[in-house]
Amino acid sequence: MAYNGVMPSARSRAMVREARHLLFTVAPGAIWIVIFLVLPGAYLMGVAFMTNGPYGLPEMPLSLASFERLAGFGFLGWSPGNLYTLLRSLWQTAVSTGLVVLVAYPIAYYITTCREKWRPIMLLLVVVPSWTNQVIRTFGWMNLLAPGTPLSGLAEGLGLIAPNMGLYPSNFAVTLGLVYNFLPFMVLPLYAAFEKLDTAQVEAAQDLFASPVRAFWHAVFPQTLPGLLAGIVLVAIPAFGMYVIPELLGGGKGMMLGNLVATQFSGGANWPLGAAGAILMLIATFIGLFAMRRIGKRLGGGEEVVI
Amino acid sequence: MRKRTLKRGLTAFWWATLAFLYLPLAVVVLFSFNAANSAASFTGVSLRWYYQLMGNEAILSAFANSLVLAITSSVIALVIGCLIGYGMYRHRHRKLGWLIVLIYLPIVLPDIVFGISEMAFFVQIHRLTGLLQPGLGTMIIAHVTFQIPFVALIIYSRFVGLDPTLFEAAKDLYASPFKRVVHFMLPTIKPALISAFFLSFTLSVDDFVISFFTAGPESATLPIYIWGAIKKGVSPEINAIATLMIGAVAIAAIMSLLFSRRRHA
Amino acid sequence: MNETITADAAAARPRADGAEQGATSRQASAIEMQGLHKRFGRDTVALDGVDLTIEAGEFFTLLGPSGCGKTTLLRILAGLEDADDGRLAIGGRDITEVPPHRRSVNTVFQSYALFPHLSVRENLAFGLKMRGMAAAGRHAKVDEIADFIKLGDLVDRRVDQLSGGQRQRIALARALVCEPDVLLLDEPLSALDAGLRSQLQVELLRVQKRLGMTFVFVTHDQQEAMVMSDRIAVLNGGVIQQVGPPRAVYEHPVNAFVARFMGHDNLYSVTGRQGSRLATALGELIIAEAGEGELLLIRPETLDLLPGEVAGNNHLPAVVAERLYRGSHAEYRLEVGDTTLQATLNNRGRHLPEVGDRVTVTVAPHDLVTLSE
Repeated sequence: MAYNGVMPSARSRAMVREARHLLFTVAPGAIWIVIFLVLPGAYLMGVAFMTNGPYGLPEMPLSLASFERLAGFGFLGWSPGNLYTLLRSLWQTAVSTGLVVLVAYPIAYYITTCREKWRPIMLLLVVVPSWTNQVIRTFGWMNLLAPGTPLSGLAEGLGLIAPNMGLYPSNFAVTLGLVYNFLPFMVLPLYAAFEKLDTAQVEAAQDLFASPVRAFWHAVFPQTLPGLLAGIVLVAIPAFGMYVIPELLGGGKGMMLGNLVATQFSGGANWPLGAAGAILMLIATFIGLFAMRRIGKRLGGGEEVVI
Repeated sequence: MRKRTLKRGLTAFWWATLAFLYLPLAVVVLFSFNAANSAASFTGVSLRWYYQLMGNEAILSAFANSLVLAITSSVIALVIGCLIGYGMYRHRHRKLGWLIVLIYLPIVLPDIVFGISEMAFFVQIHRLTGLLQPGLGTMIIAHVTFQIPFVALIIYSRFVGLDPTLFEAAKDLYASPFKRVVHFMLPTIKPALISAFFLSFTLSVDDFVISFFTAGPESATLPIYIWGAIKKGVSPEINAIATLMIGAVAIAAIMSLLFSRRRHA
Repeated sequence: MNETITADAAAARPRADGAEQGATSRQASAIEMQGLHKRFGRDTVALDGVDLTIEAGEFFTLLGPSGCGKTTLLRILAGLEDADDGRLAIGGRDITEVPPHRRSVNTVFQSYALFPHLSVRENLAFGLKMRGMAAAGRHAKVDEIADFIKLGDLVDRRVDQLSGGQRQRIALARALVCEPDVLLLDEPLSALDAGLRSQLQVELLRVQKRLGMTFVFVTHDQQEAMVMSDRIAVLNGGVIQQVGPPRAVYEHPVNAFVARFMGHDNLYSVTGRQGSRLATALGELIIAEAGEGELLLIRPETLDLLPGEVAGNNHLPAVVAERLYRGSHAEYRLEVGDTTLQATLNNRGRHLPEVGDRVTVTVAPHDLVTLSE
């Protein structure tokens, strides 16, 4: 009674039809991304291992010269410039991400304590500024922080800056710009975490632990951790590769890795050096993503951090 | 008692944060009406910068470029992204890990790496073949590349939320493959199509870095024009264009609020 | 075996010859299946050679536990699944290779599958529209079916405003309005609560009788199958175990699987036989038709209980181990020696033995059936 025939033709025809369907729907987009992103990316990686030609364009032979230059070894011996840029990028990323968390955490919590009908409007109010172009937002800060403005005057009065210097360009302005730019990216996932918060757990914790601080630490914080990690990924990765904000608010002393890379492709014109910088940025990005996934899996319980 | 103090403190912090978020935009709007040619002092209300905009050929062409770029790229991304989204849904039981990686790539790649990769690639292809001359065409290609994933994911999640037997019901009720697309699939995912289009449009208008590196000499968009103007030295005229763009965003925000209200009603 | 039962059914069944020439009546069609095979992946056999003929105008039920292949068979009839091998014909026309949208077959899905982006009226008209009927004609047809199924003002509602029972009726109307040769129903009542369910069973049966349309119904509930069907096919492991009218399947199951699935527990091995005398764990019993089967089936409702010990043929001494009083009847668990026996007694005002009572179980020889494992 058991059926032991060879794979029948109706079945193999259906398989061919399904495979053709997959190809038809997925291939255009997949090919598009491969041609216009994967190939360019691969080419850029290749460029990093080539020699810098007379017009800044890559040439044969292959070499590691651009990585040496990235590490600071130039015609005039070693100089710490590029290293400072890298360290500054890390520092700015860490500080601005930290500040964003400090601002976004209470804001996200506050929104969940408000009446339900106001919450979408409050979220919209937080998000809307990020709908305007980054260049315009940064330009607004240039207006606010320029020498002679009330804010600069205040800082001068307090003796924080030298007279007539203004608050920009400076590293401080870059940090401010980054915090401003990425705040909504942290509020949204944190809000989602707070909204799902199990209040029964919080009440139980208030019962069990005397101090509110301990109740927070044991009942609230762990539940918001997945949202927090998602927010950190959303903030830190683009912050590390930021180009516009340091370019406009930072001046020469506020340069970050993104500016170093970009310069090699426009004014400075040393493609292999820029490509080497881009590889560094990519490595940092993937390490960041990987680390967050690992931590998220270990701490987040069943919930995985999704980017 | 302590709870109420906390709530008051949080309320104050909320308004302070809102001020922080809107101050830079408010300053731009305010100074666009400034009579004086200065960013430091406000001397009186005037529309002179707006009049100056009207006569500025470069700004008008940048505006047109922005619009053409956003609309064209969004339409192309909608078609391609829709196909991928549906393909991912229909074949979700297969191992499509490679496709997921491919789709997430444009999202996780830092803008600057994205931009220079494409620029370097386009320049070399152009040198070798004469194709892909930097300009609106290359910008559209670049924008479509970062829009596809968002469209695909929106469409995919819409399909996943549907009862799978609906597809069978359509077949069962005499809909040919073509009619299934026209009378069942497209109408069913219409809300997702609309939001995917608007997200693509917003992403395109919002982008500066990728546009900047893939643009040609004739294809400056508004953000690129503003960037250039800032680099040359702050001009009050920039406040006027920026204000118009902020106004467009404000209108979009109000519309999205009304739209979501109506859907809940 | 199949043929005799088919003949029985044709004789027993009140034919729909006089089916009303109502809105949706149409020539009913017979279904013929030959050697249908279906596998999923390498190892899962869903159908293992199904040969079945469903008569025109029949209410036919595919009955079996989950995974028995009944839904796969229904989906092959609908064209939603392709058989790996075998032929399928409806109304004499071979449709094995015909895609679902060109088959005059409609399905009522378990989840109802109403289109959320369309109103109820648009849902009802969907099939007609896809077939190319003009708007005016569609409107008239939808009104007609809404009247027939008594949908009332449901037609003008949105799908998300409907209750489960209402959705079920809309799904039925949506399929019927297309006037298919065959209507397929995939456990259409399983998501409803018991009261609504039995109400809709009756309604569905009436609709089928009035239209005289061929209905193929899938369920795992043997009670439902017996109430509704002209004939039942019991499936297990992708193989048809038995086909026949409800009484034949219930009273004369061909094997232990069918017997157990129809709710029978009193099955005993025949350890020896001599003419019409069977030796079993219960003792010696006389059977009217000895048969070949090595299992003896005793239906609980054929048993009678006499107080005390009474001697005679087919009289078994027993002790009442358990009694479940259910109002209209009582269910007994009896101990006959080392074995147990279930009995059901109608409550006709007579004495109902108590737990611990010594009784005598009697059964008529013509109520006993043998069957194979």
